[in-house]
Amino acid sequence: MLSIRNLHARVGDKPILKGINLEINAGEVHAIMGPNGSGKSTLSSVLAGRDDYEVTDGEVIYMGQNLLDLEPEERAWAGVFLSFQYPVEIPGVKNIYLLKAALNAVREHRGLPELKAGEFLKLVREKLKVMQMDEAFLHRNVNEGFSGGEKKRNEILQMQLLEPTLALLDETDSGLDVDALRVVGEGINRMRAPDRSVLLVTHYQRLLDIVKPDFVHVLAHGEIKLSGDHTLAEKLEREGYEGIEAA
Amino acid sequence: MSGFSEWLADVKDVHAPEALAVGLPTKRVESWKYVPTRGLARTTWQPASPKTTEQFAVTGGQFVNVPAIDGLTVSDDALTDSEKKRLDDISQAHGFGLTQAALQNSQLVLTVRKTTSVVLNLHHLANQASAAGFATLIIRVEAGAQLSLVEQFESTDADTANLSSLRCLMTLARDASVTHVRFQAANTAAHVFSNLDVECGENASYRLQTIEFGSKLARNDIYIALAGREASASVNGLAITNGSQYHDTHLAIDHVVGETNSEMTFRNMVDGKGEATFNGRVLIRKDSQRSATEQSIANLLLSESARVNPKPELEIYADDVTASHGCTVGSLNKTELFYLKSRGLSEADARAFLQYAFAEKIVEEIEHPDIRELVETQLLGELKHGELIAELKESVDV
Repeated sequence: MLSIRNLHARVGDKPILKGINLEINAGEVHAIMGPNGSGKSTLSSVLAGRDDYEVTDGEVIYMGQNLLDLEPEERAWAGVFLSFQYPVEIPGVKNIYLLKAALNAVREHRGLPELKAGEFLKLVREKLKVMQMDEAFLHRNVNEGFSGGEKKRNEILQMQLLEPTLALLDETDSGLDVDALRVVGEGINRMRAPDRSVLLVTHYQRLLDIVKPDFVHVLAHGEIKLSGDHTLAEKLEREGYEGIEAA
Repeated sequence: MSGFSEWLADVKDVHAPEALAVGLPTKRVESWKYVPTRGLARTTWQPASPKTTEQFAVTGGQFVNVPAIDGLTVSDDALTDSEKKRLDDISQAHGFGLTQAALQNSQLVLTVRKTTSVVLNLHHLANQASAAGFATLIIRVEAGAQLSLVEQFESTDADTANLSSLRCLMTLARDASVTHVRFQAANTAAHVFSNLDVECGENASYRLQTIEFGSKLARNDIYIALAGREASASVNGLAITNGSQYHDTHLAIDHVVGETNSEMTFRNMVDGKGEATFNGRVLIRKDSQRSATEQSIANLLLSESARVNPKPELEIYADDVTASHGCTVGSLNKTELFYLKSRGLSEADARAFLQYAFAEKIVEEIEHPDIRELVETQLLGELKHGELIAELKESVDV
């Protein structure tokens, strides 16, 4: 589904990614772990098309097309979804407007008809229930005044609605208390499907206790230093990143 | 001054010779520095005549259909010394002030009687081609009375220059409260001038929401004096400036005495070759202790040739005050655009969302549901790709 080959990216003059290679097949969940500043968030941002980063070398092939050639909205239409580490507040725009506009846009590009108002509301209410969110969230401004946990739930709510093929989850566990972590983790688990892949970026192992990854990769200094199965995450939790960074 | 000179030469008013002699303000008059006066000076202005309407309106410089409402009196008595002085201050400010005084067509004095509650809807009807109307409205809100004043400018199909000027003096006695909404959507050939001078007595509260979409040139001079303890004023405004429009608001809040509160929030959104000026001045005098003021000014520039001239001015001479202020100028936020696009919104739709969001923060505060709805509908009409949001509102807001 996704092949990342020799990916190099920088911010200004500062190289951040220094040759990432990664294969993700349909249905797989990959976790990228690593110390702060290792390039984890840069990787997910580059994949989603944020233009603060300049790709200097390498390629990313997603479902047969060169992902880096696509605008962010074209990536969304093609089934890529990024759950933001810091979800953006849009004061003045109701959450439900964004949800509906996003779903309509994505459906249109997938050749699906626009949902009728009633169908849409039914679907959103279902997803709200999964995320244990009150309906009042629909009529509040996008992320404005949401707590850290509410923002992350809102991201996963969007993902549930948009049903991406490739979900990039950037530090979705940060700022969550134990209960919210469980809701968010289960929200992600519900999305696991044979035709959907997940790339989960995290600093800690705790989300991986709920969302068991098929593969764990350790990113340090802009390169993948180590890969393994989910037991690698447990090892990192016990031993820290020091040994790997030095390698 | 050729724009008004012939007319002024024939007018008997005491201000006419001075207005002629001083002429329209030039760029050297600081408060008129950015105002493009060429069109004003070139047009041969003529007196306007009232249009037929059934609404309470100011048209051709005349007030028509003044409503008979319980609690509202149309007063014939002379202006008070204070009112005369306040009007005189407006006249003497510059040559256009003198012109407004000299060419005044009519004056209406309304009193909202003690402890009553009155709702007034004043319509502004555009004047005929090349016609200019000048009116003065004096409103006295007696102790404990409440007034809701809504001013609406009708957009007509006139596409030749027209001018309307309204000087409004409002005096709020103790415990009076006024909510004032001004929605200016005049046609794009209109020149709209508004002077608003408000004086708040003890524990009086004045709240103004001013929205400007229309006109070719609009100039608002707003002065609010908090003259009694516990008086408060809140102003929030939005100007959407497009094409070759010019919008200018000069707002001053004067904490004449202590224990007074003020808030001003103003947003400019400028596109095309539009230009917008906002001057927000707060004065807290030396003895006006325990006063508080909050000021927030935001400017959104949407094109390379759009211009904005924001100027926050805080003059605080008392030491026991709470003051906060902020002023930003920028284009659409890149992170916000990326967020929306990453959800599948096209560049154009994402931009429309953020422009709507910027304006909506002001519009959503309008308390009259009908006016808010009207403003929102027109706002979406002003925005490129606003129809996406219009559809969403329709399908979701049930």
